[in-house]
Amino acid sequence: MATHEKVDVAIVGAGASGSVYAAVLAKAGKKVVLLESGPDWQLTDLISSDFWGRRIKPASGPFLLEGKNPFGYVYQAGWGVGGAALHYFANFPRLLPNDFKIKSEHGRALDWPISYDDVAPYYDRVAGDIGVSGDAKAEEIWRPAGKPYPMPPMKTFRHGEIWLKGFEAVGIRMVPAAVGMNSAEFKGRRACIYDGWCHVGCPIGALANPVVTYLADARKAGAEVRPRATVTRVLTNPQGTKITGIEYYDEKKERHVQEASVVVLAAWSAQNPRLLLNSATDRHPKGLANSSGLVGKYMMAHFSSGTWAMFDEDIQNHMGTTGAQFMSYDRYGKTSQPGTFGSSFITAGSAMKTSDLGGLANARVDLFGADLHAFMQRAARGLTRIGAFGEELPNIENRIELVSDKDEFGMPLAKIVHSYDQDAIALWNANFEEGLKIAKAAGAKESWSGRGNMPTIHLMGGTIMGTAADNSVVNSYGQSHELPNLYVAGPGIFATAGASNPTYTIFALSLRGAEHLAEKWSTVAG
Amino acid sequence: MTSMQRRAFVKGAALGALAFTVGGSQVLLTPGEARAVGVPFRLLQAHEAETIEALGETLLPGARQAGIAHFIDQQLSVPAEEALLEARIMNVRPPYANFYRAAIAAADRASKAMHGREFAELNAIEQRDFVNLMRQNKIDGWQGPGAGFVYFLLRSDAVDVVYGTVEGYQALGIPYMPHIAPERRW
Repeated sequence: MATHEKVDVAIVGAGASGSVYAAVLAKAGKKVVLLESGPDWQLTDLISSDFWGRRIKPASGPFLLEGKNPFGYVYQAGWGVGGAALHYFANFPRLLPNDFKIKSEHGRALDWPISYDDVAPYYDRVAGDIGVSGDAKAEEIWRPAGKPYPMPPMKTFRHGEIWLKGFEAVGIRMVPAAVGMNSAEFKGRRACIYDGWCHVGCPIGALANPVVTYLADARKAGAEVRPRATVTRVLTNPQGTKITGIEYYDEKKERHVQEASVVVLAAWSAQNPRLLLNSATDRHPKGLANSSGLVGKYMMAHFSSGTWAMFDEDIQNHMGTTGAQFMSYDRYGKTSQPGTFGSSFITAGSAMKTSDLGGLANARVDLFGADLHAFMQRAARGLTRIGAFGEELPNIENRIELVSDKDEFGMPLAKIVHSYDQDAIALWNANFEEGLKIAKAAGAKESWSGRGNMPTIHLMGGTIMGTAADNSVVNSYGQSHELPNLYVAGPGIFATAGASNPTYTIFALSLRGAEHLAEKWSTVAG
Repeated sequence: MTSMQRRAFVKGAALGALAFTVGGSQVLLTPGEARAVGVPFRLLQAHEAETIEALGETLLPGARQAGIAHFIDQQLSVPAEEALLEARIMNVRPPYANFYRAAIAAADRASKAMHGREFAELNAIEQRDFVNLMRQNKIDGWQGPGAGFVYFLLRSDAVDVVYGTVEGYQALGIPYMPHIAPERRW
């Protein structure tokens, strides 16, 4: 076993949230180490190919999937430096004020311990840090004013524009999508060239992945990235009052201990609870930060209601970005869809490729043989889709638990138990119905709902924030209520899911948490 | 080959085709080329490869010639973390060979029960009808990975080798427009 020289901060995971913590704390003069279980990907590894792009996702993982709607996670998970944000679509909608007070306003779900106003300044600062393109003024029909985005909206294409007539017909206002991409050169990073390969990683730096943004800043400020380092436990002092470091295994399966004044868990939302539960001691028999019993509880996902449409004209659906061209919060009110509960966030205009989950062929998974060839020929010219993300409310039965089987490092596997409730199913169906109306009004030659197994997208929760140790795992900064030198970062700390893609909020909350840690360093780490 | 050498080789291969063994040496070929020159299978038995080709051809005509069996065989022979199969992102637990072997065995068992012959021995109409039942999870007595899931993954493999390549894009008239191109037209 190797014990490494003590550092100020050990960060578990080099994805979106870990990169922000690393950048802020390294710039504050702290000695920072990021432990990343996967490879140290370089931009030159990001091959423009659907199947080569699968290499930057995990080859399965230490999770068993249970429940009525098992959480299919690998497609959207990260493996290696950059995490899932190495291949994300970079849609950057915010949460809205109504997301933070659902319990107070509707008597359901949970309240966050903070409001939109607490997060809004960090949205604006993240936009300035890493670059966001969009029209902030246009968004003010739904949210309080903030700063303009640093870049104008992205270019649009016919496969997005063709939907606008349909949206207008049903009373949905669409505005330019806010995206973490460069519509113009930004801080030395190139402008987007609209070739639609965002989902396998952007090697030119036009898309704001961590490797070219916060992680680059962190490295420049002296942070060390230690790839192929799989963390298995968070360590405490004998009294159980303080975190002392982490245990990890390297590529050769040799055990290491990295001592640290502060530990930040910035791994995936399912992995952070797994680590906390596996770090149980005599002083913390239920796992660390878990006196409430809420570690691993309230796992949440988004579901998408996709509507496909075929048009007669060549709408150039291969052009653009994997993210959206247009977006709307017009169904974001919690009771917007009659007879349902929860927000919906609507997008239009994703570039499509031929294969992989979101490709042309999977628009009609029922077709095979000669029929599939014929469909591909038509789809290559005229196929497009819109999507409505739906909000799942926090449910304590959706959870992470350790199981007896173990991984290659001797760490127990975990199971993710996940089922949607009737609210979610009703909202999913309502959004399908409205999608078909929009397609018809847009003049589609054919349209159909992309039904199948109800999707599970963007895993959130499991280490939720709250006001005290009896109702949550961490405070609004991600700091453990019980062990002050332990932080948790990422969507796991969301108290509710909203319906917005989460990464912009992950960046914003991480910036808020990291700056709080830097400001309170002497009391937290002392 | 050490893991570092393998990684370096795979990184090179990422810019081109897949690594196949020909005459004791590793060469980079597309799966279609590997099939055309008769590269021996590494893991698949002859019958398993034959069944994959028959299923692939039923799912998407052209998949056999595009080398679907060589593609899957080569992918099953590399470490899971280097695999490019759709199975990887559909939460199939490695080793992926277990899934494909179980899927082939399930299809053959069901085919024998239905027609008295294994799937590869059915005529084209019987194969199409059988796959159509797989798609709908409507094969009585099917034992193994879900029939609909097997349909979905093998269909995805077929789409990968036929339409996921530069040639596949050209066949559809779609500009490939790569940032970093997969070389050798793969």
